[in-house]
Amino acid sequence: MNTSLRAGRRRRKTTAALFLTPFYALFIATMVVPIGYAIWLSLFTEKTSGLGFGGTRRVFSGFGNYADALGDDKFRDGFVAIGLYCLLYIPVMVGTALALALLLDSALARARRFFQLALFLPHAVPGIIAALIWVYLYTPGLSPVVELLESGGLHWDFLASDTALFSIVNIATWEWIGYNMIIFYAALQAIPREVVEAATVDGAGPVRIAVSVKIPMIRAAVAMTMLFTIIGSLQLFTEPSILSDANPAVGSSWTPNMYAYSAAFRANDFGLAAAASVLLAVFAAALSFGVTRLSSGRRTA
Amino acid sequence: MQRTSIRLGTALVGIVTALSLVTGCGGGDDKKKDAGAAPAAPGGGSGQKQELTFWSWTKGTQEVVDAFNKSHPDIQVKYEQIPSGNAGGYAKMANAVKAGNAPDVLTIEYPQLPDFVSQGAVQDLTSKVSGLKSKFPASVNKLTELGGKTWAVPLDAAPMALYYRKDFFTDHNIAVPKTWDEYRAAAEQVKKADPNARIGTFYPDDPSTMAGLTWQAGGAWFGTEGDAWKVSLTDPNARKVGEYWNKLVTDDLVRVQPSFSQQWNADLKSGGTVGIVGASWSAGVLKSSQPDLAGKWAVAPLPDWGTPSNGMLGGSTFAVSKDSKKSKAALTFIEWMTTTKEGISARIASGTSSAYPAATELVPTAAQFFDTGYFGKQDIYPLFTEATGKIGAGWTWGPSMTQTNTILKDQFGKLSSGGSIVGALEEAQRSTVEDLKKRGISVKS
Repeated sequence: MNTSLRAGRRRRKTTAALFLTPFYALFIATMVVPIGYAIWLSLFTEKTSGLGFGGTRRVFSGFGNYADALGDDKFRDGFVAIGLYCLLYIPVMVGTALALALLLDSALARARRFFQLALFLPHAVPGIIAALIWVYLYTPGLSPVVELLESGGLHWDFLASDTALFSIVNIATWEWIGYNMIIFYAALQAIPREVVEAATVDGAGPVRIAVSVKIPMIRAAVAMTMLFTIIGSLQLFTEPSILSDANPAVGSSWTPNMYAYSAAFRANDFGLAAAASVLLAVFAAALSFGVTRLSSGRRTA
Repeated sequence: MQRTSIRLGTALVGIVTALSLVTGCGGGDDKKKDAGAAPAAPGGGSGQKQELTFWSWTKGTQEVVDAFNKSHPDIQVKYEQIPSGNAGGYAKMANAVKAGNAPDVLTIEYPQLPDFVSQGAVQDLTSKVSGLKSKFPASVNKLTELGGKTWAVPLDAAPMALYYRKDFFTDHNIAVPKTWDEYRAAAEQVKKADPNARIGTFYPDDPSTMAGLTWQAGGAWFGTEGDAWKVSLTDPNARKVGEYWNKLVTDDLVRVQPSFSQQWNADLKSGGTVGIVGASWSAGVLKSSQPDLAGKWAVAPLPDWGTPSNGMLGGSTFAVSKDSKKSKAALTFIEWMTTTKEGISARIASGTSSAYPAATELVPTAAQFFDTGYFGKQDIYPLFTEATGKIGAGWTWGPSMTQTNTILKDQFGKLSSGGSIVGALEEAQRSTVEDLKKRGISVKS
């Protein structure tokens, strides 16, 4: 009996290992190894001498690359740009997505399926394609949108230096509203109908129900969406890089991710690029931790 | 206790997501690299036939490769068109060299050759191409010799020239400017004749035009003194050119648009832009991107500062990547492309290229195969020959032009929000010197 129990336990262990191996193999190969390599790369720098044509040597520089990245205005400005972007983007995107989800969930909505699909569709377009389409729509002389605005007497330059942020937020909002709306809508569907009915019986109108009943009940979904949106914003790369071809005000290191790209592939400084990436990851991790703490703290309060 | 672990768990999910997104960027590039390397599978192993891989974006390259493959059964070139250097081509090549799967033959413009040499990305060709040297003018040879060695073979010299809408200039009685003072006057006339038209464009994304104009003005952004670099992006000549263009921009006499952008093309097409300060190769670009405007364009010598002189704008060379094991076949191909009648005529006959061959004796071949219909039968090659003769010999490209250009580009982008061209040059001077020193390169101030 004792032996069979042990055998059973061993068998269970083997089964567990068998099921877990693919996960860990993939996790190590696609996560741990690349991240480890990035950290390793970030500790070295390449040196040359004289005119610079005699080849390069790789030398250990410790945290030199980290100091360089942190000491570089361009890297720090990237975080400022992301901050401004979030300030504009998150309220607009989350607000609109939430409003649309509530509309869909309300008794008034018609053709729910159609609107769900229609609003989600932009998310199915790859980011690069979306950015290219929007650059086309922003270009005066080509864009029907600009032409329409002009014919209405409105002169709006989407590619000016002070409208760059707006133009990028617009692309991202277009891409992500549908996606987040689906999340909110799913959360709203999970609200017990009795609660809504009780509120109706108590005399609450649709707006009151939305604000006082529905939104508080899906707060967790809203918090999660915000968290993912902030992390996603830190990774901002595709839209500004595509836009920088049309709008020179969007520089080569407009976001921290673009800074890393530029360091690696324009300046050929892979150490600096790796250090910037690691710093960005640490920052994202710290921010996620902070946001989760904040939202869970509010829940208990 | 349990809440803490949940919180920690959520944070962990956050960290992993963030990191995977960070590393995800690199993954995408890997895929691209693989796609580029796929044709690099050694085909030379069996028999005599060698397979070369070649990345380029210069006009007419497909026709050149086809003609070469037809006439060389023993060497087959696999050509892959990549985005032009500034539009991502250099990043792609640098990436591939780093990853060890670069093609055998690379296309590198003169300004970026020092970058690739200092990264150790290309092979030293000194002993292999010594016989070709005499075919090229000294001013061109100087650009492929760095640190006493030769690293690439030039395809074209790229003298600058002024392109203008002949119909517009004639209709409005505007004289073709011969000096930069006249250019400014003409710019004012153009705007006066048609408030929606401009004489040209300032390209905030492409500092090489500014470089070429500085070269013409007698300046030199870079130079070497012994074993040290001298960086002079802010010398008086560079400032003069910067201030001149800055004034054109602030007075709204030229457009500010990225080079080859949709906006730029749209304005050329609609007649909103009636001139281009370009180089010999611009004729081909114009021809292939604005076919509807055939017969309306003409070419004139680049305006000067009172004394005849010219500079180069871009111009391409071919180099052999450091890991290529087929350098002999690669050189056969490169030599054929750049110094034979067949190679040059195939390129020009494609109808899309107006390259001015660096190999002087092939200029008549190029002129013969270039269809001048687009320019109303104007024979443009003699004009380029004259312009090439005026190119000053004092110019050297710096050891990290991609970096210097990136800084300039970022600064030029601030023109509309209070920046200036001279301010951009000053920032580029400061950053370049700092960057070179950081890399261990000696800089003399």
